[in-house]
Amino acid sequence: MSALAATLPVRHAAAHLGTRDLAIAYTVRGRQQTVLQGVDLDIARGAFVSLIGASGCGKSTLLKVFAGLIQPTAGTVEVAGVSPQEAVRKRLVGLVFQDANLLPWKTALGNAAFLLEIADKSLGRKAVRERAAEMLELVGLRGAADKLPRQLSGGMQQRVAIARALTLDPEILLMDEPFGALDAITREEMSHSLLEIWERTKKTIVLVTHSINEAVLLSTEVHVMGLRPARIVETLRVELPQPRGAESFRDPRFGALEAQLRHLLLESHAHRRIAR
Amino acid sequence: MSVAPSGGEWTTVGPQGATARAASWLRHSLPTLLVTVFALVAWELIIRLGHVSTYIVPAPTAIAQALAANADDLWHAAFVTAREVFIGFVLSLVVGVALALVIVRFRWFGRAVYPLIVFFQTVPKVALAPIFILWFGYDLAPKVLLILVIAFFPITLNMLAGLEAVERGFVALMRSVGATENEILFRVRLPHALPQLMAGVKIAITFCVIGAIVGEFAGASAGLGYVIQFASTQLETPLVFAALIVVSLVGVGFYYVSELLERLIVPWAPEFDGTDRS
Repeated sequence: MSALAATLPVRHAAAHLGTRDLAIAYTVRGRQQTVLQGVDLDIARGAFVSLIGASGCGKSTLLKVFAGLIQPTAGTVEVAGVSPQEAVRKRLVGLVFQDANLLPWKTALGNAAFLLEIADKSLGRKAVRERAAEMLELVGLRGAADKLPRQLSGGMQQRVAIARALTLDPEILLMDEPFGALDAITREEMSHSLLEIWERTKKTIVLVTHSINEAVLLSTEVHVMGLRPARIVETLRVELPQPRGAESFRDPRFGALEAQLRHLLLESHAHRRIAR
Repeated sequence: MSVAPSGGEWTTVGPQGATARAASWLRHSLPTLLVTVFALVAWELIIRLGHVSTYIVPAPTAIAQALAANADDLWHAAFVTAREVFIGFVLSLVVGVALALVIVRFRWFGRAVYPLIVFFQTVPKVALAPIFILWFGYDLAPKVLLILVIAFFPITLNMLAGLEAVERGFVALMRSVGATENEILFRVRLPHALPQLMAGVKIAITFCVIGAIVGEFAGASAGLGYVIQFASTQLETPLVFAALIVVSLVGVGFYYVSELLERLIVPWAPEFDGTDRS
């Protein structure tokens, strides 16, 4: 990170998290490879933002930057007014990956409580478990607290993973294709649950997804990412009425937004083929 | 289930009574039983009709007689060998697991030591038996040591594989809440590795029996290996075979104890899934 880049301020003070002129580059076998370049992003508090794009467009990388797992090569990142590492340390960020990553020997409740147990030893075991049980209820797993992961379906396992992130009570939820491994029906169910969770908890959610439908249904804002170099090519505001649900699909704007997104994605995909 | 075809596999689905279970067990074991009985009868007939000397190959009946006649001695020898196996196994387990933990926790140590362990593995351990006898005498110590050098490796190797098999995503989650390296090792990696460890234990336990017998061959005054060697120099071949049977029984016994341990220690492992996904 250059000294100049570090002093650049984030444009909107209201932004909950954001990047300024962010670049990520790896050195692979002596060759510099740019994964992300010139990414300016502002995500407002309480927003539901989707990052969508073809495979390899750096959307997961961007999420990992917010999670403090990857250091930017250039530019600045701010999460809740501090650096990503600091935000993670203060438990302002909760993570959900495509794989539920549950511990097979712990029950749903034990898994939901686990990270908070590690994170805050000053909290009593009972307080942690109570909070975890509340979150399990919020994600719709009230009756499954004592079940082991192998007794749960893929969708339920992912619900436990979401409950585990919520148990930490973060301000921001970073989700990397959380429903990517689920079947279509379960996926849709999970989308509706996530909407409900978002409305009830008022968290800022950043979702990485492949699904156009999911992005339109869930988001207040969709960032379309393009390739070579990976960057944000277009930002769409989704002004469908809240709260959303199955009836949102019938809104004529829904189809229009989907079509627009599909067009943008296909366009960036075509660029990739030419670039090769 | 109205669509179930009659007489097909579907008819066996559902709760079974004790008699049904016994019948099912019989159906599964009957082929093995039949083949065993056939082989024993054929063996007996070949020895008798071919007038093979009993000190070259004894007939099954001769082996049975030797078993009965030397029951007390064999029992004592089995106890001696089983004790060596048990102590050697426990030592292998402790050393094997500790080594794997240290290798994973302190990467520089792992990098330094791992090639040496692999190199040591290429040494034929059986060849070490006479040296251990030379160093530690004829009693328990050299056998236990021989078992250790034979059996710790599969335990270390499986434990290492299990410790490393934790998803990167989970480690990232742990780091994200400020977990220490020790917490990641003991609260996530270690329990995660237990099913793999038990797989290693099952391999190691058979190695332990081999180690004990080889150790006794190299120099001993008691134990099943000693009985085998002593009896073969006396041309008491039926006793050699009888002792071999007891060795196998000791091995099988330890193996089943390890399976029982597995069920107790890792009941959440998918192999023992008693409940349906719902």
